[in-house]
Amino acid sequence: MRPSTIKYFVREGLSGLKKNLLMTMASMVAVAACISILSFSYCVGSNLQYMLNQMEDSIGISVFLKGELTGEQIENMKTEIGKIDHVESVEYISPTDALDELKQDWGADEDIFVGLDNENNPLSHSFQISLDSIENQNGVLTALENVDGVENVRHGQTETELLLKANRIFSVASVIVMLLLGVISVMIIMNTIRISVVNRRVEINIMKYVGATDWFIRWPFIIEGIIIGLVGAVVPLLLGFPIYAKVTSAIFQYLPVIKFIQFRLTGDVFGFLIPFGVIFGIGLGVIGSVTSIRKHLRV
Amino acid sequence: MIHMNNVTKVYPNGSTGVENINLHINKGEFVFIVGSSGSGKSTLMKLLLKELDPTEGDIVINRVKTNELSRKQIPYLRRNLGVVFQDFRLLPNKTVYENVAFAMRVIEAPSRIIRRNVPAVLALVGLGKKGRSYPNQLSGGEQQRTALARAIVNNPPILICDEPTGNLDPETADGIMQLLDDINKRGTTIVMATHARDIVDAMQKRVVTLQNGHIVRDIEKGGYSDEA
Ligand SMILES: Nc1ncnc2c1ncn2[C@@H]1O[C@H](COP(=O)(O)OP(=O)(O)OP(=O)(O)O)[C@@H](O)[C@H]1O
Ligand SMILES: [Mg+2]
Repeated sequence: MRPSTIKYFVREGLSGLKKNLLMTMASMVAVAACISILSFSYCVGSNLQYMLNQMEDSIGISVFLKGELTGEQIENMKTEIGKIDHVESVEYISPTDALDELKQDWGADEDIFVGLDNENNPLSHSFQISLDSIENQNGVLTALENVDGVENVRHGQTETELLLKANRIFSVASVIVMLLLGVISVMIIMNTIRISVVNRRVEINIMKYVGATDWFIRWPFIIEGIIIGLVGAVVPLLLGFPIYAKVTSAIFQYLPVIKFIQFRLTGDVFGFLIPFGVIFGIGLGVIGSVTSIRKHLRV
Repeated sequence: MIHMNNVTKVYPNGSTGVENINLHINKGEFVFIVGSSGSGKSTLMKLLLKELDPTEGDIVINRVKTNELSRKQIPYLRRNLGVVFQDFRLLPNKTVYENVAFAMRVIEAPSRIIRRNVPAVLALVGLGKKGRSYPNQLSGGEQQRTALARAIVNNPPILICDEPTGNLDPETADGIMQLLDDINKRGTTIVMATHARDIVDAMQKRVVTLQNGHIVRDIEKGGYSDEA
């Protein structure tokens, strides 16, 4: 394609949008709404996932063993547990190690440790299990019920399950809302392009007589869709960037309870979101205009 | 250059546009298609432009059988055919220059060639000074000259005119006919539908007469209703 032809398409596309300003604005707002939801759900969703990952590193399953096991039995149990799906590693913690760790955590001079030593240790043998992903925790817990010699199992189920559930519900809800808004955007864009086609029917007619190819006639309308998608995406993304930075730092500052978790960096989030959002917006524009052209532009 | 073999066009609603047309036009000819209203002149023009497809028979233009062209190839056929209509069909929001340049732009002619050819063609049709005017600032004759400039700016070998003088007064019409004659003398084949008796009589060119969709008369050189 010649540069002058591309310039021509862009100019025609822009003039088509200008002649149809109200619908153009409506289309852009629809795309912007869609991209805003996309950005919002990505910000929340990816942070939830990020928090889950952070917790995964610190949370595992503790398995406490019955008291009267031999070293060989313990070794067999370790192998058996290691074979359970999604178990990444099994670490044996002897009562002595457990006591040492406890003393370290609390300070060895504490009164409660008086009279406790390796001869007189009330702690049990245990395994510390880590998983490949927290989502597989339930499966592993079920499998552990069938292992002989297990006295009791402890895990960070409630918190992580809550977060997991929140993450799942949130992703499903945001995908549904996004699809809905996407469909609405495409429909509004289709209508905008339809009006633009009608506005230009005389011109299209002449173009056909002088031998313009179908694609030459179509391109300005596709450019219209691309511009709608581009503007509709760029505006909320550029607004979202500082908003994300402000909101995360505000939460960090005013809600000290959750200080132990961290948010993803603004640059990381938007480094992905800006190109993805722009492509997504342009995609909506192109889908809208191409469908409309197929329906209304009988070239 | 143009061959219509046993061409019949029946419209979807059952009315017959033309029936069993056999027409052969050589390169460089100037042919009038005449006949009363509803005799099938416009139908014949639209068949040549492949705006309509024949129900039966075939049409060959420039050695290309147009029945067999795919959609994608139609624009390239049209580049061989300049068109002028009774109602001018100019773009009101473009200047005379832009209206003519438009025809070159949409077939992706280089800007350099556009800048060179458009003024030359405007001068040829006598609109050298009107390039910046808008169609509504022009007389009917000037508008038709603009349309004519647009039709020939890509230098098509064939020019199809459907009642190009239909909206013009006799003197203005004569000017347009003079111009068409000049264009024809430069080698362009012209097929022109009209029911302007005096114009046909004055030009003394080939006359093909249609009646109820049939060719009833085809005279090598003559007037509107001369006997063959
Ligand atoms: N789109 C159409 N649908 C159905 N019938 C049509 C259509 N166009 C033309 N016809 C019919 O075909 C016949 C020929 O029409 P055509 O327009 O070719 O005549 P014409 O010679 O150009 O007439 P005029 O001098 O009034 O322009 C007429 O009977 C007309 O009713
Ligand atoms: Mg007619």
